[in-house]
Amino acid sequence: MSALASGEFWAFVGVAAGIYTILALGLQLQFGYAGLLNFGQVAFMAIGAYTMAILVVKEGWSMWLASPLAIAAAAAAGLLLGIPCLRLRADYFAIVTIAFSEIVRYVATNEQSLTGGSQGTIALGSVTQASEYNAQWESFQTRVGNWLHIGSKDVTMLLLVWATALVLLTLTWLAVRTPWGRVLRAIREDEDAAASLGKNVFAYKLQVLALGSALAGVAGLFYAWQFSFFSPDDFQPLLTFFAWMIVILGGVGRIWAVPVGAVVFGFLFAGTRFLDFEPLSSLDSAERAYVRLIVIGLVIIGLVVFRPQGILGRREEMVLE
Amino acid sequence: MTPLLEVRDVAHAFGGVRAVDGASFDVGAGSITGLIGPNGAGKSTLFNCISGFLRPRSGSVAMDGRRIDRLPPHRIARGGLVRTFQTPRALLRMTVAENVLLATPRHPGEQLGRPGREREREAQARTAELLELVGLDAHARALAGTLSGGQRKLLDLIRALMAEPRLLLLDEPMAGVSPTLRVELLHHIRDLRDRDGITLLIVEHDLDFVMGVSDRVVVMNNGRVIAHGTPDEVRGDERVVDAYLGARHEAA
Repeated sequence: MSALASGEFWAFVGVAAGIYTILALGLQLQFGYAGLLNFGQVAFMAIGAYTMAILVVKEGWSMWLASPLAIAAAAAAGLLLGIPCLRLRADYFAIVTIAFSEIVRYVATNEQSLTGGSQGTIALGSVTQASEYNAQWESFQTRVGNWLHIGSKDVTMLLLVWATALVLLTLTWLAVRTPWGRVLRAIREDEDAAASLGKNVFAYKLQVLALGSALAGVAGLFYAWQFSFFSPDDFQPLLTFFAWMIVILGGVGRIWAVPVGAVVFGFLFAGTRFLDFEPLSSLDSAERAYVRLIVIGLVIIGLVVFRPQGILGRREEMVLE
Repeated sequence: MTPLLEVRDVAHAFGGVRAVDGASFDVGAGSITGLIGPNGAGKSTLFNCISGFLRPRSGSVAMDGRRIDRLPPHRIARGGLVRTFQTPRALLRMTVAENVLLATPRHPGEQLGRPGREREREAQARTAELLELVGLDAHARALAGTLSGGQRKLLDLIRALMAEPRLLLLDEPMAGVSPTLRVELLHHIRDLRDRDGITLLIVEHDLDFVMGVSDRVVVMNNGRVIAHGTPDEVRGDERVVDAYLGARHEAA
């Protein structure tokens, strides 16, 4: 336990919270502003991570070229899903997104020659070629660390993730404050009313779906860099629901609620590792790992009952009809 | 008067029920046209067909001589045909001012990455004017969800005006409105035509109101137009009397 409580461990928790922030920011834009129910956010994260790794390992691309292309691929996947499906009613769209995210995971598991299959990115390269997709990232990270005189790689990563998250949060925040953001909120409130006033509801939803997917793609890149190995199993639907918990915890329809929700969630999730006291000590650590899911579930239930607007939401918005 | 809106043989069915069954009429530019009929006559369905929320099964709708019956609602609205809804559709978790600002036509700021600050300033000035016109200026910063039913009706009306319609379709503007507000609304509706030159097509159950305000009245029953003309002509028409009183005649 003492090893877990080290600064390194908490830096790791902070990195995860930063990645979750970027992932959940996409959902906040889609759901909190435009009212889109996306239950497949993790798929776009997977597409971002895999596109980058495949281009670097198999095609020998520079990571600096592969990464923007990976983000574009995630956004393009959003468009591809949105064009046929966004005309569906909100609840049907939600079902399609779950199915889509599972399809992506199953394709990644079974298309061995493309993705390395269930063995993950280790199997991307040949036997002679190390399947390293993040050598360039590692050296970049070291250079940043040296430049800032930071000894720990984890702390450097923490800074890089959160610097990126802050830039993306700020850009999104600026975007939703414009008349563009006003149209999004109108669509969330009543898309027929928005259409009756000349707004192209479909085009806005498509934009938001693509932007949210691009953000998930960025989260996927950091996820890949952080772990230097990943497999289809890393992109379970559970991750999408973590992002949803973050949005609900922080507060729906507030950009800055996302990092707050992500940090609270991240520390709850990690902190519950330390539930090593009676009577919980009688459980082994694997069993206690499930106890934390129960704890987080209880927190969410309590929140919905006592503070439905989330940590930063506005209560008066919850009672209008 | 040249017709601004031409509705020709429009039909629409839900399952086997022919809600609108070949309706035709014109709306003259600069006129106030009332559309009346008993419950279930097909008025709302026809309204939805004209505004693009439903696609007619057959027939055509034209504005300025151009077909609009295959266009999506937002294109029709941009073309100058703006509708309101039977129950006001206030955007509850947005402020009253934002509700009106939303309707600004040709706003470059509504595209991602374009500021459109100048247009936004114009829009804010126009919004302030409209809010004052209907006495909602004190509520500009309140969430629209806090407004009363009558205030939402007024908000709906000025929001539609903000979209700069040439033809305004009002769906039961008097439904659920208090007697004092009725007088105010009537006054505003007359002004729209007389001062702003907006053509109006109004669906309404309140016959006194329709007969009082309209130049022309179109009467529907069972999905068809059974009469049209001036209020006086329509009032004396036997088919209209039958349509409205038919049930009572038969019962008697």
